[in-house]
Amino acid sequence: MLEAFLISSITMATPILLAALGELLVEESGVINIGIEGAMLAGAFAALAIAYFSGSTALGLGGGVAAGVAINAIFAVLVVNLAVNQVVTGTAVSILALGLTGVFYRKLFGVTGKAFMVAPIAKIPLGPLARIPLLGPVLFNHNALVYFTFILAPALWYVIAHTRYGLRLRACGERPEAADALGLGVIAIRWQALVVSGAMTGLAGAFLTLAYAGTFVENISAGRGFVALSVVIVGRWNSWGLVAASVLFGAAMALQFGLQALGTIVPYQLFLALPYALTLVVLAGFGGQAAAPSALGEPYRRD
Amino acid sequence: MLRANAITKRFGRTLALDAVDFQALPGEIHALVGENGAGKTTLMNVLAGSLAADHGEAILDGLPLQAGSPRAALAAGIAAVHQSPMLFERMTWEENLALGGFDTGTGALDLDAIAARARSLGAKLGFEMPPDGATVENRSVAERVRLEVLRALSFNPRVLILDEPTSVLAPSQLAPFLDLLRNLRGEGRIVVLITHKLAEAIAVADRITVLRRGRVVARTTPAETSEENLAGLMIGELVAEPAPAATPSHSGAPVLQIEDLTLDDHTGRRILDRLSFRVAAGEIVGIAGVDGNGQTELVELLAGARQPSSGKIKLLDGSPGATMAVIPQNRDLDGLILDMRLWENLILARRLREQVTSHGWLNASHAIDLCRELIDRFRIRAPGPETTAGALSGGNRQRLEVARAIASRPKVIVAHNICRGLDLAATAEVHRTMLDFAFGPGRGAVLLISSDLDELLAICGRLLIISRGKIRETDPGERDPQRLGLLMAGARD
Amino acid sequence: MLSSIAKPFAALALAAALISIVLAALGASPLGVFAALGEGAFGSWYACVDTVVKSTPLVFTGLAVALAFSGALWNIGADGQLTIGAIAAGAIGPHLGNFPHPIAIAGILAAGCLGGAVWGGLAGWLRARRDVNEVISTIMLNFVAVQALSWVVHGPLMEPSRAYPTSSPIARAAQLEFYFAPSRINLGMLLAVVLAAVCYLLLFRTGAGFELRAMGRNRRAATFFGVRIPALTFWVMTLSGALAGLGGAVQVSAISHRLYEKLSPGWGFEAIAVALVARLNPLGIIPAAILFGALDNGSQAMQRTQGVSPELVQVIQGLVILIILAFDTPAWSAVREQIFGATGAAAAVPPVAEMPDA
Repeated sequence: MLEAFLISSITMATPILLAALGELLVEESGVINIGIEGAMLAGAFAALAIAYFSGSTALGLGGGVAAGVAINAIFAVLVVNLAVNQVVTGTAVSILALGLTGVFYRKLFGVTGKAFMVAPIAKIPLGPLARIPLLGPVLFNHNALVYFTFILAPALWYVIAHTRYGLRLRACGERPEAADALGLGVIAIRWQALVVSGAMTGLAGAFLTLAYAGTFVENISAGRGFVALSVVIVGRWNSWGLVAASVLFGAAMALQFGLQALGTIVPYQLFLALPYALTLVVLAGFGGQAAAPSALGEPYRRD
Repeated sequence: MLRANAITKRFGRTLALDAVDFQALPGEIHALVGENGAGKTTLMNVLAGSLAADHGEAILDGLPLQAGSPRAALAAGIAAVHQSPMLFERMTWEENLALGGFDTGTGALDLDAIAARARSLGAKLGFEMPPDGATVENRSVAERVRLEVLRALSFNPRVLILDEPTSVLAPSQLAPFLDLLRNLRGEGRIVVLITHKLAEAIAVADRITVLRRGRVVARTTPAETSEENLAGLMIGELVAEPAPAATPSHSGAPVLQIEDLTLDDHTGRRILDRLSFRVAAGEIVGIAGVDGNGQTELVELLAGARQPSSGKIKLLDGSPGATMAVIPQNRDLDGLILDMRLWENLILARRLREQVTSHGWLNASHAIDLCRELIDRFRIRAPGPETTAGALSGGNRQRLEVARAIASRPKVIVAHNICRGLDLAATAEVHRTMLDFAFGPGRGAVLLISSDLDELLAICGRLLIISRGKIRETDPGERDPQRLGLLMAGARD
Repeated sequence: MLSSIAKPFAALALAAALISIVLAALGASPLGVFAALGEGAFGSWYACVDTVVKSTPLVFTGLAVALAFSGALWNIGADGQLTIGAIAAGAIGPHLGNFPHPIAIAGILAAGCLGGAVWGGLAGWLRARRDVNEVISTIMLNFVAVQALSWVVHGPLMEPSRAYPTSSPIARAAQLEFYFAPSRINLGMLLAVVLAAVCYLLLFRTGAGFELRAMGRNRRAATFFGVRIPALTFWVMTLSGALAGLGGAVQVSAISHRLYEKLSPGWGFEAIAVALVARLNPLGIIPAAILFGALDNGSQAMQRTQGVSPELVQVIQGLVILIILAFDTPAWSAVREQIFGATGAAAAVPPVAEMPDA
C-alpha cells in the first residue's frame, strides 16, 4: 500500500516537475507564462494522436514536444515581441489550446469519446537498485521520462546558478533594460527560454497521455499546468525547492485516489485542493513574492 | 576617431536630435554640454547602440557602426556609463562585473578569476571594492558608479562615454574622478563626458561641443570660452529677469512639522534617521543634498505614498482642509498620468477632486471648466482640457503640475528637483511662482528639495542639508557653496 | 467613438478568418459553420431568447472582470467567485420555501452576492495586505472553488435520495420565474442590464471610480495623490466577486434550480474576452456578452449540423483575446504609423531627461 502510494506520488509529480522546471527558466528571464496549461494540454493531445496514428511512441513524444513549442511560440510573439500583458495573454492561450484540442479530438476520434488506447511507455528498472526493499521500486523502477525529469532538476540548477547562460538569463529577469544595454539580447533570451520551456511542457503533456493514462480525455491536464506555476512559487524559484514541492503535490494527488477508493471521512476533494491552498498559504505567510525575479511579469519593449 | 554624421532622432512629435555632427579624437576628453533635454543622453544612446537613429550614422575608426545594437557597439569598442546605474540589484557585484568584459566568454564561468581581475583594475584606479559576495542592493550610490565604470572599462573600450557621472558624487569625490578621466585619456582612449556642469567641463576637457534643443550650436575649447559664455550658448537667450534674491524670512507660525521621522526599508536598512524640522508660513526652506540620500523617500512620505517606520508628519494649521501639495521629481511617472486627459490629471489632486465632487458624484464639466481656467492663468500651451497629458511638452507638463499644486490652495508646497529639465527661462518662471506663493498674501510655506545648490541659494531663506538620511540645519549666514558642498558630502563640522 | 467600435469588429473579422483556416483543416465548411452558428443563435424566437439566457451570466462575470481590470487588478477568478456564489445560493435556496416570493428572491441573490464577495475579497485582501499577486491567488481560488462544489454536491448538500451528485432543489419561492413561457426570460436579465448601467456610472461618474481608473493606469502616481491603494484594491475585488457571485445565484435561481458539478462552463474565462471586446466599458459589456452568448448558443446547432464540436467557441474566445491584445500595443501603433503616416497623437514617451520645451 505504502509502496504503491509512493510510486504513484513520483509518477504524478513527474509531469508537474517537468513543466515547472520549464516555467522556472521562463520566469527567471522575467516572463510569467499562464499559458503553460495550454502547452501541456496541446502536448498531451498531439503526442497521443501522433503515437496512435503512426504507431510510434517516439514520434508521439516528438509531436508532444512540437505542440508545446508551437503554443509557447504564439505566446512569445505577443508577450516578448509585442510586449503585451502577460497574464491575459497566457489565459487566452490556455483557453485557445483547450478549444483546439477539444475540437481536433472530436474530429479525429469521433463523438463517442471511445478510449483510444496506446501502450504506455515501458518502465526501465535500474538493475540491482530496483530490488532494494521499498526504495527500489519507488525510486529506481520508472520509465525513462521520470529519470530524465529528476536528473534535469539538478542540471538546471547548475545551469541557472553557475553558468554564463544562467547569469544572462537572470539578468533579463532582473532588469531587462540593463541587460539590453550590455548587448545581452533580452528578446532572444526570452524566446529561447519559452521555446525550451515549451518543449519541456509539451513533453510533460506527452507523459500524461503516453506514460500515465495511455489515452486522451478532454482536459486531461486538469489544471496540472497551474499546479506547475504553484510549484515554482512554493519552491521559491529554486530547482531543489521545485523538486520538493512537486513531490509534495504529487503525493497529494496520489492520496486523493486512495481516499476516493476508501471513502473515508476526509473528503478526497481536500487533497485535490491542497496544492492550490498551500500555494496561497506560502504566498501569504512567507513573503513568497519577494523571492521572484524583480522584473517578473512586466512587459518590456526596446526603444 | 569617433564620428557621428547627421544623426537625427524623433520621439513621436519631439525632435530630440536634429542632424547632429559630432567628432572625438583619441587621447582626448571631449565634453558634451547642454541643458537637460538638449539631446545629450539621446546622442549617447545612439552611439552606444541602445537607440537606432532615424537618419545618420556613427563611424569609429573608419568603420560604420551597426545601428541599434549595443552588442555591436561594445564589440567595436564603445562602452557607456549611464546616468542612472544599470546594475542588477539582487546579483552580487562579481556577477554584475561578470556580465562585462572581465569574463573570457569561453569555458566555465569563473567568478573568482573575474573578481580578481576586477580587483586589480580597481586597485590601479584607486577604487575601493565591496566585500566578497556582496549584492549591489545595499551599496552606496558612489560605489555603484564605481562598479559601472569598472564594468565599462572591463570591455577595454576605445571609447568611453560617461553620462553625468558626477551628479551623484559628493564634491570631495570629484577631483579624483576627474583625475581618473585624465588617466584614461593618457592611455589613448576617447573619453566623452556628458555634463551640464560647466566648471567641470572647462576644468578637464580638451574640446567642448554644445548642444541646444537637439542641435550643435558651438564647438570650442576651454581656452576659447568661459562658463558664462558656455551658459549663454546653452540657453541661447538672455534670461528675461533674474530670479529675485531670497528675502530674509520674517515668517509666521510653523505650518509643517516633522518629528523624528524615520524610515527603514524591508531589509532593515535605515533610509531616513529621525528627521526633525519645521517649515513656517511665508518662508521657503530648502533641503540640499546629493541625489540618493533619502530625498525621494522623504517626498514619498510627505505625499502619503509610503508610511514611516516611526515619527510624525504634522500639518499644524488648525483650519479645516489644510493640505500639502507635493510635486514629485519624476513628473512623467509619478506626478502625472500621461494617458489621461489634462482635466483628469488636474483632479488627481484630492482638494480639486473634492471641489468637483458632491456626494461622491463627479461633475466632469465643472472639472473641465476649472482646467480651462488654469490653462489660461498659468499659460500652459495646450489645445484644451481634453488633450492627453502625454501630448504636452516637458515644460508645459511642469506648468500643469505647478498649476495643480497652486490651485489646490495648500498650506505647504513640497517640490523635489522642480526645475530639473527646464531651461533657465522656465526655471525663473517656476521660482517666481514659488516666491509669490510664499511671500504673497496667501503666506504659504514652501519646502524645496533639490540637488542644485545654486537654485537653493537663490531663493531659499533657510537651508537644511540631507546626507545619508540625516538632516542638519545650517547657520543662517552660511552661504559658501564649497562649505555647503562638503556638508552635503557628509563631512562633519 | 467610431474607432472604439471599429477595433473590436476588426478583431472579430480577423478571428473569423483564422477560424476558417482551422475549420478547413478539420474538413468542415467555414460558411456552413458560421451559418449554423447564426441559425442556432438567432434563427427563431426561442433561439434568440435562449441566446439572451446564455448571455446573462456573461454580463455578471463580464462586469466583474471589467471593473477589476480597470484598476489593473487581474481578476482571473470570476469563475470561482461565481461558483461560490452559486454554492451559497444553492445552500440557502431549499430553505426559503416559507418566505414571500420577493423576500426569498432577495435572500437567494444576497447569498450569492455574499459568497462571491467573500471569494473576491479574499484575493483582494491577499493582494492588499500580503502583496500576493492576484493573478495567482484568483487562479488558485478557482480550483479550490471547483473542489468545494464537488464536495458539497457529494456531501453536505447532496439531495436526500443520494442517488445523483446534485444538491436539493431550491424552494419554488426562491426561483426566478419565467415570463412568456416556454421561453426562459427572467428578471435576472433585467438585473444584469441595470447593473451594467450602475457599473458605468460608478466607474465614470464617481470619485471612487476615478480613483480606480487612476490606479489602473498608473499605480505609483495614484499613491502620490492620496489614493488608498490597499483599501481600494480590497473593495474592488470584493465588489468584483460580488457581481460574479450574483451571476451564480441568478443562474441557480432561474435556470438550474440546484447545484451540480461543472456548473460553470467557463463563464469566468469567457468574461475576459467579453470585457476586452467591450474595452472595459460596462455599457459595452451587454452587446459583447450577447455576442459570446450567441456563440455559445449557436455552438450546439453547429455540432448537430456540421459535426464540429462546441469547443470551437473556446477557440474563438482565445483568438479574440489574443487579437485584441496584439493590436492594442504601442508596437502596432508604430507599425500603423509607418503604414498610414504619423497621426501626431500622444506617442512614445522619450526618456525623462530628454524632454525639450516647446
